[in-house]
Amino acid sequence: MISVIATNITSPLGFTTEENYQAVLSGCSALKRYEGLWGLPEPFAASLFTEEQKAALAIEGYTFFEALAIRSIRKALTYTSLGNDISRIVLILSTTKGNIEALGEACYYPSEAAQRIAEAIGLTTKPIVVCNACVSGLSAQLLADRLLSEGIYDYAIVVGAEVQSKFIVSGFQCLKAVSEEPCRPFDIERNGLNPGEAAATIVFARDANKERWSYSQMIGKKEHWCLISGASCNDAYHNVSPSPQGDGLTSAINAVMKGRDKSQLATICAHGTATLYNDQMESVAIQRAGLSDIPLSALKGYYGHTMGAAGVLETILTMIATGDGIILPSKGFTESGVSGNVNIIDEQKKTDKRAFLKIMSGFGGCNVAAMYERTTDNGQALARRSQQSTDNVKLVKAHTIRLSSEDGKTLTDIYKQQIGDYPKFYKMDLLTRLAFVATEKTLSNSPLKGEDKMPALILFNHSSSIVADRQFLDTIKDAEDFFPSPSLFVYTLPNITTGEIAIRHHLQGETSFYILPDKDEALMQQILEASLAGTDTTTAICGWVDAESETCYECELSVYNII
Amino acid sequence: MEQLINDLKLQIKEALNLEELSMEEFDENAPLFGEDGIGLDSIDVLEIIVLLEKNYGIRLANPKEGRAIFQSVKTIAEYVQANRKK
Repeated sequence: MISVIATNITSPLGFTTEENYQAVLSGCSALKRYEGLWGLPEPFAASLFTEEQKAALAIEGYTFFEALAIRSIRKALTYTSLGNDISRIVLILSTTKGNIEALGEACYYPSEAAQRIAEAIGLTTKPIVVCNACVSGLSAQLLADRLLSEGIYDYAIVVGAEVQSKFIVSGFQCLKAVSEEPCRPFDIERNGLNPGEAAATIVFARDANKERWSYSQMIGKKEHWCLISGASCNDAYHNVSPSPQGDGLTSAINAVMKGRDKSQLATICAHGTATLYNDQMESVAIQRAGLSDIPLSALKGYYGHTMGAAGVLETILTMIATGDGIILPSKGFTESGVSGNVNIIDEQKKTDKRAFLKIMSGFGGCNVAAMYERTTDNGQALARRSQQSTDNVKLVKAHTIRLSSEDGKTLTDIYKQQIGDYPKFYKMDLLTRLAFVATEKTLSNSPLKGEDKMPALILFNHSSSIVADRQFLDTIKDAEDFFPSPSLFVYTLPNITTGEIAIRHHLQGETSFYILPDKDEALMQQILEASLAGTDTTTAICGWVDAESETCYECELSVYNII
Repeated sequence: MEQLINDLKLQIKEALNLEELSMEEFDENAPLFGEDGIGLDSIDVLEIIVLLEKNYGIRLANPKEGRAIFQSVKTIAEYVQANRKK
């Protein structure tokens, strides 16, 4: 359990948390229809910064993405002090495509952007980039919880940021997932998501007693918020379509709510992208988890889908609103168009409850749920942290496999000679082929234990999805030959790699993809131990998988038993 | 028609990386979806939509319209023949 000590939202609706909250409270939306923007042939609705806002946020020497994140963090830090020991503070950056517009330049790499952001705010520890598609913003908070709870750091600055571009929008358009009208979460008329840009920051502290969250100044209450519990589960079903029964999301919600009283919940903040499949699946999962009667809010009608920022932004807004005794309406919703029995809120409601649930689901089959609770000045959180300390957890390597471009054998050769029963291999991008072949080889030596229903998969790299990014860019850079490829776009999310392997081996535990400045084994070990402590997972596949090009790749993957 | 069916098979095989499906095995009447057929999925359909636009100038905005068209290579060929712009 960790405490929230400062927040910021920087979006087209305002540059502070308060401005954003007031805007949403008065029903404002930043969604607008764009036609011909970035040379895109199809119109779309999106929540984008204006040129004036961009000029106000720009910082010389940084890309707009970096400047946006830096501005948001700096604003959050004006509400708090982090002490003098900067070696005890970690930056966790949540983004799906970061500086994608700089593909071809050094700052393209998400870890380089994270390092520049960290340095700009005066940090010296290595930043961690969370790249789990749409769920990244919640995954990043779960990681903060783990690293702080295990005492590895005292403070975590979690920043989620996304800047929209031709790259991202054309990708979602070719997946037929974008609406040209403002999105309508859970509505019968919903027909797709709206891309959004924003940055949002939460500063978490390990020790709640030292700090008080600044929002008490904002709305005059002596209370603070804690992240109580979180869980992450994969569908192991399909990389783009969620499990129709909402398997992964149901498991994640059940893991978080285990032993807790649902009557404490003021609201569930849904993912609610307004795509047909996502909202339908969420409604089924919420019903299966027994939470049909809990008021459900979806916030994408105000901001669109801010992707890497969404999990952080929507958590902050729900915190502020719940703290203020209000449940926010789901803008864009009028009539239910989902089969699951859910209590969708379409007008502002009052609440005196002190906890809420945030859920998200995304490509790669990943689902995350997290519960937050507000505590009074001298009170204790009602719920207690369920995780045990890593002191009691041992990761034992059962088998390790190393593959590299130096081996003299191509991945296709290895597939043909040693695997050969999974034609989907040929559809995968290089990064996924690399992780796939390594997983097959290591599991053939050390098979997963049958009794573990929740095996985990945690991967790290440096180069993100650069090979797929280059390939997809080739399909959109020429206006005369503009045919964005849906299958290539999917692989521009590196966690699709974890999704493919989860499907192949029915891994229904946590799947995560982290991007680091380098192959820092000590940091990777810390993240693994913190992630696997106190969960039901008893086996995990973890390691480094980096593919810079066809002739430059490296993978070191291990199967671990957790005892 | 035979030529068009053959072209489509080649284009689909290449665009969808159906590496292990030989041209001889690729039956134009076989269902494209489901385990009894070629076994394509939703992303494959989207990729075929791109292919039809690129090679034949056919725009299908809503993949739902495509359900009848994407039954088999034969049904795609019939649709292309009736609607092609290039």
